[in-house]
Amino acid sequence: MLSFVAFSLRRAWQGFWRNAVMSIAATATMVLMLVLLSAFFVVLSGLDAGLQFVEQKVEVVAELRDDAPDLKISQLQADIAALPEVQSVEYIDKATALAQFKQRMAEQGREDLTQYLDANPLPATLNIKLKDPHEFGSVVSTLRARTDVVATVEEVQNLVDRVLTVTNVLRTGGLVLLGLVGLTVLFIIVNTIRLAVVARAEEIEIMRLVGASDAFIRWPFIFEGALVGLLGALITLVLLALGAAPLSNLATRFFEILPLELGSLSRNLAIIVLATGIGLGTLGSYVSVRSYLLK
Amino acid sequence: MASPNAAPPRAAARSLRDQPAAHLIAESRDDQAILVLHDVTKTYPNGKTALRDVDLVIPEGDFVFLVGASGAGKSTLIKLLIRDEIASKGAVILDGLDLARLNRREVPRIRRKIGIIFQDFKLLPTKTVRENVGFALEVTGTPRRQIGPAVERVLALVGLSAQAAQLPSQLSGGEQQRTAIARALVHDPRLIIADEPTGNLDPLISWEIIQLLSRINELGVTVLMATHNAEIVTALRRRVVALEDGRITRDELGAAYHRED
Repeated sequence: MLSFVAFSLRRAWQGFWRNAVMSIAATATMVLMLVLLSAFFVVLSGLDAGLQFVEQKVEVVAELRDDAPDLKISQLQADIAALPEVQSVEYIDKATALAQFKQRMAEQGREDLTQYLDANPLPATLNIKLKDPHEFGSVVSTLRARTDVVATVEEVQNLVDRVLTVTNVLRTGGLVLLGLVGLTVLFIIVNTIRLAVVARAEEIEIMRLVGASDAFIRWPFIFEGALVGLLGALITLVLLALGAAPLSNLATRFFEILPLELGSLSRNLAIIVLATGIGLGTLGSYVSVRSYLLK
Repeated sequence: MASPNAAPPRAAARSLRDQPAAHLIAESRDDQAILVLHDVTKTYPNGKTALRDVDLVIPEGDFVFLVGASGAGKSTLIKLLIRDEIASKGAVILDGLDLARLNRREVPRIRRKIGIIFQDFKLLPTKTVRENVGFALEVTGTPRRQIGPAVERVLALVGLSAQAAQLPSQLSGGEQQRTAIARALVHDPRLIIADEPTGNLDPLISWEIIQLLSRINELGVTVLMATHNAEIVTALRRRVVALEDGRITRDELGAAYHRED
């Protein structure tokens, strides 16, 4: 068994170098396709991060009664914060609300009209950020039930629906596009490897004629395909690492507002590139050799 | 648990089907025949019938010329022998094994009992003579330390020891064919099948190849050679099997290429 694996690996290595032109062509195709796939993955990750950022802007706002005692407000705040779907609860008292209103007016260069008022007309509010913008239902109903504290809850249904429709369309579109690119990559790589195998049809025929078992014919080719995939993936990762610094300098200003974690992104990307490369290399060889062994 | 009732009827059906073949296998053992074709017909999926009712018995150690025009069925016959194709009707029994009954996984084992030689040599251009011959052992799982001595032995037999490190492109046609013969021999086959082995060679070299095959035959290996080369067939006066339109029209010992009566 061990000698069979050693034999297959040795033959795969020989096969790769003795057919250097085809091997290099297959590897180059692999690299091009994996770079394409990586670029798509990065762009889609950016898109997804942007969409998450937009979705997090959706919050539930409860206007509080002016006569609600502070104790009950802080109790409600704690109750809401304890709900599983809530990410954070912020209490804005009347004075802060007025100050924020004044600041907004000033930023827009409008006259501060509040100075003519003898009382503060703005309600205190609880601003609730959700973990998932879909799940506002129970938060809203909990707030509405507390009529002793809560005056009104802003209707967020419409806003949430609209934002989510747009982000879902963009996400689905992105995934469909990634799927199409993935399929293209699959066909091109499998076909390139098929060419490399077809170029050695005579070798396979001779192996069959001298009485090599299917396993002895198949495994060296599969290892060779995996080798092409591994090599292609490693070259791709090197290229990406070289290209990452200048690209991220460019993109940092754009991405800095987004919750994009570059560390986990590059780790995911490395895993995807390696798995795709080795997987497709292996699959391509398997499929190609199979058609010769089926006879 | 599998039902115990399921097995016996199936086994019975099998043994019924196996009966004629079993009978032939026993017969082939008695006669020391390496190869028996019984009533073999081969019809391809496109409807073309390449062989009709072929009966042929080749005893161990025989030297047989298979002659006939292109399209007479020689190639199909050879394909049946190496189980590249399966007979539509009848039995092909090689060394006591019915090829039609052979499991796909057992085919490689049968092929190792046969050495095959082609008109176009079928050598791997990127491998040296030594590697081309060793390849046949390597890909059938022979331990590496046994490959070297076996290869040197057959290279000596075909007279190519001095060219062992050369590539096929550096060899003459005759040397390339001798490399192919060495590769066919390295498994110690019981039967050598040569399909037009001299088709690409000039007359002098052809004679060298025939002499080599005769010497191998003298060592006890059965040789079946398909050929168009009338001069060689007539000169050697061996057994001649002639195919015409898929039928055996002549099977004579000590015969010439053409019918003499």
